[in-house]
Amino acid sequence: MSSNATSAGRPISARELLPDAEARTKLRRIRHFKDLTTRFMVSTAGYGVVISLALIFVFLFTEIVPLLRGANLGEPVSYQVPGTDAPTLHIVSERYQEAAVRFAEDGTVSFFDPTDGRDLMEQVIDFEGGQVVSHANAEPRTRIVAFGLDNGRVALAEHDYDLTYPDDVRLVTPKLGYPVEDSIITIDDQGQPLNVIGVQRGDPGIGIVAYTADGRLLLTRFTSQRSFMTGETEFVPSQYELPAPPAAPTRILLDITMRNLLIGDAQGFLHYYDISNPEQAVLRDSRQVIEGVGNSVTAMEFLLGTVSIIVGGSDGSVAQYFLVRDEGNVGRITRIREFDQHPGAITSIFPEYSRKGFVVGDAAGHVGVHYGTSASTLLIKRVSDHPLQSVAVTPRNNGMLWTDGTGQIHYASLWNRHPESSIKSLWRKVWYEGRSSRDYVWQSSSATDEFEPKFSLIPLSVGTLKAAFYAMLFAMPLAIFGAIYTAYFMSPKMRGLVKPTIEVMEALPTVILGFLAGLWMAPFVENHLPAVFSVLLLLPLFMLGTAWLWGSLPRSIRYLVPPGWEAAILIPLVLFTGWLCVTLSPLIEVWFFDGSMRQWFTDVGITYDQRNALVVGIAMGFAVIPTIFSIAEDAVFNVPKHLTQGSLALGATPWQTVIGVVLLTASPGIFSAVMIGFGRAVGETMIVLMATGNSPVVNFNIFEGMRTLSANIAVEMPEAAVGSTHYRLLFLAALVLFGFTFILNTIAEVVRQRLRAKYSSL
Amino acid sequence: MIEENQQGAPLASAGLANKDNRKRLSLRNEEISMQVRDLNLHYGSDQALKNISMDIPNKRVTAFIGPSGCGKSTLLRCFNRMNDLIDICRIEGEITIEGNNIYHPSVDVPELRRKVGMVFQKPNPFPKSIYENIAYGLRLQGVKNRRKLDEVVENSLRRAALWDEVKDRLNDNAFGLSGGQQQRLVIARAIAIEPEVILLDEPCSALDPISTAKVEELIIDLKESYTIVIVTHNMQQAARVSDFTAYMYLGELIEYDDTAKLFTNPAKKATEDYITGRYG
Repeated sequence: MSSNATSAGRPISARELLPDAEARTKLRRIRHFKDLTTRFMVSTAGYGVVISLALIFVFLFTEIVPLLRGANLGEPVSYQVPGTDAPTLHIVSERYQEAAVRFAEDGTVSFFDPTDGRDLMEQVIDFEGGQVVSHANAEPRTRIVAFGLDNGRVALAEHDYDLTYPDDVRLVTPKLGYPVEDSIITIDDQGQPLNVIGVQRGDPGIGIVAYTADGRLLLTRFTSQRSFMTGETEFVPSQYELPAPPAAPTRILLDITMRNLLIGDAQGFLHYYDISNPEQAVLRDSRQVIEGVGNSVTAMEFLLGTVSIIVGGSDGSVAQYFLVRDEGNVGRITRIREFDQHPGAITSIFPEYSRKGFVVGDAAGHVGVHYGTSASTLLIKRVSDHPLQSVAVTPRNNGMLWTDGTGQIHYASLWNRHPESSIKSLWRKVWYEGRSSRDYVWQSSSATDEFEPKFSLIPLSVGTLKAAFYAMLFAMPLAIFGAIYTAYFMSPKMRGLVKPTIEVMEALPTVILGFLAGLWMAPFVENHLPAVFSVLLLLPLFMLGTAWLWGSLPRSIRYLVPPGWEAAILIPLVLFTGWLCVTLSPLIEVWFFDGSMRQWFTDVGITYDQRNALVVGIAMGFAVIPTIFSIAEDAVFNVPKHLTQGSLALGATPWQTVIGVVLLTASPGIFSAVMIGFGRAVGETMIVLMATGNSPVVNFNIFEGMRTLSANIAVEMPEAAVGSTHYRLLFLAALVLFGFTFILNTIAEVVRQRLRAKYSSL
Repeated sequence: MIEENQQGAPLASAGLANKDNRKRLSLRNEEISMQVRDLNLHYGSDQALKNISMDIPNKRVTAFIGPSGCGKSTLLRCFNRMNDLIDICRIEGEITIEGNNIYHPSVDVPELRRKVGMVFQKPNPFPKSIYENIAYGLRLQGVKNRRKLDEVVENSLRRAALWDEVKDRLNDNAFGLSGGQQQRLVIARAIAIEPEVILLDEPCSALDPISTAKVEELIIDLKESYTIVIVTHNMQQAARVSDFTAYMYLGELIEYDDTAKLFTNPAKKATEDYITGRYG
C-alpha cells in the first residue's frame, strides 16, 4: 500500500528513506549483536569439529596405549614356607589366587594363601620308603606333578580345588588327588633310581618318561579305558624302552599328543624322538641349543599347547624352539626366536596357562617375563640375592610366586595384559607354531584354548590397499574420462541429464552394492569368466571401430545427431557387446577352456575365489566413480573458457586443447578427485565386507579375496572381549585406517595446493 | 553541423599519426586479404550481424569501432570461426580468404585458425612456462626439434618486444608476468605460428596506459608482416593504430573507410555522432 502511495505521489529522495540518527544507533547495536552472535556460533562450530576430531584421536590412543606397556611387577610379599623345611620342588597358584600349593622333597604338600602365606591345608604323599631324586610336572592346566624315586617308581599327584559359594561368597577348598588310582607306580622293574622324569597328560592318556641311573630311557603309558560294567575309568599301563639318548638328559618333555618326546642334555643338546609308535621309537633329530662348551640345558618347558619349547641354558640364554617339518615330512628342531639373556643360569621356567608366554627364574636372583609369539622380553627384574629355585605364574597372569632357597616364598602381583603385540609381531614376519616359515598372518581367534593368536596387521593393510587399488583401477579411467567428456564435449542438455544421474549413484547405499556384488555378481562372474575378459577386450575395440565408422559416414547422416550427443550412439553398442560376450561365454569356455574357465584356472595353478578382487574392484569402483566423476567434472568444467578458446584460436583441435590446456589446468581438481576417491575406497566397509570373502591373504592376485582393515573391524569387534589385546588391536587397526586416510588426504591437499599455485591464479 | 564537427573531430582524430603527412588510403588501391559477403549471423532468434559486406586489406590495420553490443567482436570472431563454439549461432553468407570460403564444409578449422590468429581481451597465457606458451602452437603442428623451437620462441618474443624483459626467465610460469607483458606474450604466441591474419579483440582494455602504448607500438610494427584486424572501444586507439576503420551499429556496418577520413570527415551522421561522443 505504502509503495503505491509513494509511487503515486512525488518521487521520494534516498535521504528520506534512510533512518535518523537514533534509529541508526539502534540499528548499529543490533547489527553488532548479530555480528557477535554469528562470529561466536561459527567459531564454536569450527572449534567443535577440531575438538571432536582430537577427541577421536585421544580415544583411539587411550585404547591403544596399554598395548605398548611392558609387564610390571608389584611389591613382593614374603613369608615363611608353610609345612616342612625340606627343599621346595614346585609351587603353583590356583586361578583366584586364594590358594597355592607347595610340593616339598619329603612329600609334604602344603596349601596356603599366596598373598599372605596363611596355611590352608597340609597333606603328605607317602613315597613308601622311596627317596625323591627327580620331579616333573605336566602341562600346568592338568595340575599333575610327578616325583621320580630312587627305587624305580614314580609318585603321581594332582592338586585340585573345589569351588563353592556359601552365602554367595566364593570359597576355594584345595584337595590332593591321584590321577592314576595308585599314587606310586613302578616304572622300572629293575628298581633303578629315576634320575630324570617327564610326565604329560593328553587325549591318549597319561605318559611318563624316565631316565634311569643306568642309562635306560623308559616310557610308560596309561591309556584310560572305561569299564562297561561299572562305568569307571581304568588306566591300563603299557611300558616301552626307548633308544638311549647320546648323553645324560637334564630335562624330559612329552607333548600332549604323546607323539613327540624332547630331551635336553647336559651338553647343551636337544634331542627329538618320534614316539608315535612307541615300539619303534626313533631319535629323529638332535641339535645343539646352548652354545659353548660345558653349557647345559638347565630348564626346559613347553608353552601352552605343548608345541613350542622354551629352553633355558646355564649361560642364561632363553630361546624358543619347535619342530618344523622338512621336505621329507620329518620334524626338525628349529630355533624360532631368542629372548633377552638373563644374567645367571636359568633355573626354572613356568608357562602361562592361557597364552604363549612364560616366566623365568635364574640363578642370579632375577625373574623374567617373556612372550613367545611377539618375541618380547617384557620384564627382567632382580628380586633376590639368592638363586631362584622355582617360579610360577598364576593362571590369570596377574601374580607371580617364587622361592629362592632361603626358606621363604615370595609373591608379587603382576600386570601383563598385552604381551601379544609388539612392533615385530604386528608388522614383521612371525614364525607361528605349526608353520613351515615366517609369515604375515591375521587370525585372531579359534576354537581351541591352545590357539596362538596371529596379529599381523600386514594382511589387513595389504588387503585394504588391494581393494582400493582394484577399485581405482576400474573407477579412475571411467570416472576421469567420463568427466572430461561430460564437461568438455557433451552438449549442455545431455550434460544436464548425465551429471545428476551419476551423482545420484553416490546416494546408493553401499550395503546394496555389497549385497549385489557378493550374492549376484560374484557367482555371475565365476560362471561367465570369458564374458568378463571379452568385454574388457572387445568393448574398447568396438568403440574405436564405431568411432571410425562414424567418422567415415557422410556428413548428411552425421548431422542427424546433434553435436554433443554422439556418445548416445554408444549406448546400444555397449549393451550389444555385453549381450554378445555373455552369449558367447559358454561357447568360448567349450572351445578354449575345456568347458569351464574357472576349472582351467585351477588347473594352471591360479587360485580363484568366488569373491575376489575383480568383483570388489567393480563393485567398489562403482561406489567411488560418482565421487571422482563429480569433482573431476567440476574441475574440467571450471577451466576458464578463455584458456580453451586461446588454445583453439592457435589452431589446436579440441582433443589437443584437452591434452595441452584443459587437463593441465584442471589437474589440481582431478588429482584431489582421485585422492578423495582413493580415501573413500580405503575406508569403505560394507562392500568389502560382503564381497571380499574376508580371507586375510597377502597378495595382489585379482582372483583372490582380501580382508580390509575396515571390514576386519566390523567383523571382529562384536566378538572381541572388551579390554583384551584383540579388542585393543582392533582400535589400532582403526587408527591405522585413520592414518591411511589422514595421510592420503594430507598428500592430496598439499599436492593440490602446489598444483593450484602453479596452474591457476585465474 | 560545422561547429559540432569542429568540436568532435579534433577529439577523435587526436590520435591520428602524422595526420598531415599521411597519404589518404583507399580500399580500391589495396590488396585485399579477406572478403566478407552478405554475412548474416543469428544467435538463436536474434540477428547479431546484418548483411555485412566488406574487404579487409592485406598488411594493414583495420579497426572495428562501435558501441557495446554492435556486433564488432562477433564479426571479428567470424574470421576464424570462433563463433562455431557457440551452439545456437547460425551463419549465412560467406567470408573468403585468398578466394576460399572459410565456411565451406571442407575447410579444416584448426588449420584456418592457425592462419588466422587471435588475441583476446583478457590476457590468457596457459598455465605453463613462458617458453612453453610460445612453443605451444608449434608443438600442436608437430614441431619437436628443440633448436628450431628455441629459435622461434626467441624470434617471436623479439618481435613482440618482450625478449629483453623475459629472456632470463623463459622457464618461469607465464602467470608471473604483468598484464601488459602477458598480452604481449599472447601476441608473441599468436605470431609464433606464422599466421597471415591477426585478430585483436580489444587487446588493451585490461591494460594500463603504458602497457597499452607498448602493445599499440607492437601492432604498428606487426602490420609490416600481417593483416591485422582490431576491435576497440577506444577511438583514439583506433585512430592511432589503424589504417582503415569500420563503424558498426546494431549489427550493421554503417561506415567503412580510411581511418583519417572516417575520423575527420565521416560520411554518415551516425558515425559522426559516435566519434564526437554524442552517441547515446
